[in-house]
Amino acid sequence: MLESLPIFVLVLSFLCLLAIGTPVAWSIAISSMLTMLVSIPAIPAFTTVSQRMATGLDSFALLAIPFFVLSGELMNKGGIAHRLIAFAKTLVGSLPGGLALINVIAAMLMGAIAGSAMASASAMGSILGPEMEKEGYSREFGAAVNITSATTGLVIPPSNVLIVYSLASGGASIAALFLAGYIPGILTGLFLMIVASFWAKKKKYKVGKRSTLKEVFRTFIDALPSLFMLVVVIGGIVSGVFTATEASAIAVLYSLILGFIYKEISFPKLPQILLDSSATTAIVMLLIGASMCMSWALSYENIPQDISTGLLGLSDNKIVILLIINLLLLFVGIFMDMTPAVLIFTPIFLPVVTKLGLDPVHFGIIMVLNLCIGLCTPPVGSVLFVGVGIAKTTIEKVFKPLLPLFIAMIIALFLVTYIPQLSLWLPSLFDL
Amino acid sequence: NSTKTLRLGHGLDVSHSVHKAMVKMGEDLLQRSGGKLKLEIYPSQQLGTERECLELLQIGSLDMTKVSVGVLENFAHKMTVLGLPFLFRDRQHSFDVLDGPIGQELLDDGKKYWLKGLGYYDAGSRSFYTMHKPIHTPDDLKGQKIRVMESATAVRMVQELGGSPTPISWGELYTSLQQGVVDGAENNPPSFYLSRHYEVCKYYSLDEHTVLPDVLLMGTYVWDKLSEQEQKWLNEAVTESVKYQRVLWAEAEAEALREVEKAGVEIIRPDKTLFADKVADILEDYKNDSEIYPLIKQIQETK
Amino acid sequence: MTEIRKLIDKILGRALVVIMSVMVVNVLWQVFTRYVTGDPSSFTDELARYLMIWIGILGAAYVAGKDLHVAIDILPSRASAKNRKKLKTIVTVLIILFVSVAFVIGGSRLVYISYLLGQQSPALQIPLAVVYMILPISGLLIIFYKVSDLLKK
Ligand code: NA
Ligand code: NA
Repeated sequence: MLESLPIFVLVLSFLCLLAIGTPVAWSIAISSMLTMLVSIPAIPAFTTVSQRMATGLDSFALLAIPFFVLSGELMNKGGIAHRLIAFAKTLVGSLPGGLALINVIAAMLMGAIAGSAMASASAMGSILGPEMEKEGYSREFGAAVNITSATTGLVIPPSNVLIVYSLASGGASIAALFLAGYIPGILTGLFLMIVASFWAKKKKYKVGKRSTLKEVFRTFIDALPSLFMLVVVIGGIVSGVFTATEASAIAVLYSLILGFIYKEISFPKLPQILLDSSATTAIVMLLIGASMCMSWALSYENIPQDISTGLLGLSDNKIVILLIINLLLLFVGIFMDMTPAVLIFTPIFLPVVTKLGLDPVHFGIIMVLNLCIGLCTPPVGSVLFVGVGIAKTTIEKVFKPLLPLFIAMIIALFLVTYIPQLSLWLPSLFDL
Repeated sequence: NSTKTLRLGHGLDVSHSVHKAMVKMGEDLLQRSGGKLKLEIYPSQQLGTERECLELLQIGSLDMTKVSVGVLENFAHKMTVLGLPFLFRDRQHSFDVLDGPIGQELLDDGKKYWLKGLGYYDAGSRSFYTMHKPIHTPDDLKGQKIRVMESATAVRMVQELGGSPTPISWGELYTSLQQGVVDGAENNPPSFYLSRHYEVCKYYSLDEHTVLPDVLLMGTYVWDKLSEQEQKWLNEAVTESVKYQRVLWAEAEAEALREVEKAGVEIIRPDKTLFADKVADILEDYKNDSEIYPLIKQIQETK
Repeated sequence: MTEIRKLIDKILGRALVVIMSVMVVNVLWQVFTRYVTGDPSSFTDELARYLMIWIGILGAAYVAGKDLHVAIDILPSRASAKNRKKLKTIVTVLIILFVSVAFVIGGSRLVYISYLLGQQSPALQIPLAVVYMILPISGLLIIFYKVSDLLKK
């Protein structure tokens, strides 16, 4: 009875706080503190909360997050996103649902150089959305494609969430996670393209004209400096010239210089860009700090071990356990944003799956891909909010075109879950 | 008649000799106290890094922890002395010092910092391992980027020996070595083996530059609340645990060297005096330190 | 009140911009020293991590002031306007209470302990108390913002 008091306090207070509209980060922090108060005297408990929230951020790897946010912001403002779209347009513009396909490809390209899905959703939505409407696409369909495809950038490296996962998993290699993300991310993108293409064909949306080879070449050359950033960032990490964090700082420098060369960024604009990125960073960091506090409280009360034992008691079949975990995470994703979900559930599920012989890198990709779906579902989905906001439509209306795209994502998720090579083959090539 | 639970957090893996010795201490304590004192162990940094756990002891939410002397020196100045290179002549010398009055003085000194030292676990001595070039003399370290702990003494030592000290966290070291961010590192044989760094570094040069024991500590916050009887039980259990761990450590060290050699690592036994001469200045730097210098002299005079 | 709030917004915003810029330059300097000067800087890693703590904790105050922290509005979205306002007040009071005990009381005690016991950072050799100082500072700012929110209604 007394044994289960801490978990009871934790779950109940957390749910109540969320329900009355307490911001998620404060809900996590307050419920963690209440849990600590079960076994720790008040003043040491208060001090511990403070210490855990501060030291939860004491990690060099975490620095990549503000930097990738900043470089994403610089790319948006610096004309890089524009050039990527123009290039994607020449590639697939003439296929059924051409503009929707452009959206997916441009989102994947953008995702491949930026660390956050929100940056991608807002860039693509604001540039491509109006064009799609002009061509007769329904506004809701355009928004749905934009929202789902933006999440591929979270699996395709660089990815802030994978960095958070590395931290939560107790040090899974960031370089390995990054490489592992390519195939699952591109696979998801392909599935989204297939569904979007079918939908557009059914609705008889207009098809663009075929680009000449010369046009392809010209837009490619134009986008080349932007695409080269991919080589610098990922090449730099994989070849060991610099760490993921250092690569993110190089990405900032690179996109800043490019923005200056394109004359789309100037010094007076910089403070605002820095401030916006700091605010975005701070939102994520408070979540991380609070989650670190919660995971400490969980460990202190041995809760992960209890859950792990319980879960393994249900079945010792790897396929069944992975199915249960995936369903649980899909459910979690409906209500919770990605970062806190990764931070809270990694320490709980990772011991279970490693006992079943799963590679922590593989599990990281499963988890992130799974929670990507949650980012697009109401009531809580940050990418959904951005996409809907930019398209000036409502969540209810977007839901119908979103459904088939969800199914595509879920199929990709299950393939990635049960075929480890999809994630682990690329890192193995680099001995990671 | 209720059971008192003591929570002990540390950063090592459950396969480590220190963890095993702690488990034994827990069983021992339960038996001695007739079930009144129970030890709950949290391994693998579950409750934080070594620095953070020390802080939690001072804060009062964690009861016990184990940290390397290298970490402790940022809290308790006198402990710096144990991290100085080539201070001990050999293993037996270090045991004699730690088990004697100097060791006790250092443990008691922690009280000023709200930390009650309970005992020392053996962590052997640290040596260099490198990827490309074997280290026979200090000159071989020239231009090599060597990962060091976040400790001013460690940075200083590698500099004096001619290498470029690069502080990187232990968890990131494997990939940093693999990717060539650093050329080598330094640690004791079991850590070299268990971290699998021997897969990347094929030269292990046993210069044994520092003896950095692990220290078992309790917050004075908790210690002062224990009855005299409870303190006695705990001290006895610690003594037994320390004895047991020294045996385990010696075995682990021999096994580690055997295994890395089997995996193709070349083990080099260089002339240690070449290294010791290079860093003699570091000891002299403490001439004006009224706390450290007398300790250095006392340790050197210990037979 | 609004005047003070605007002033604090401005100072806080500037501080964040400075911290962010120093962070970028610091990490670029780390790469530069390793490859160009061949003598890797030993303090950049630690400085970066401490700045990270600062931007996270101080940024929490900025974000709280702008009300940007994400919430799930399950009850509020179903409640009447009057009840929604009540819920909002409850949430604000809860945040004030939490920040007072954790950030201000707990944070100050953390600063006091690390100052009293003289804990130093390994590389920069600065007192850890300086790093932790950001907790009570941010706590007081959050309380200021939230109390001024309550008074506005
Ligand atoms: Na990405
Ligand atoms: Na959701």
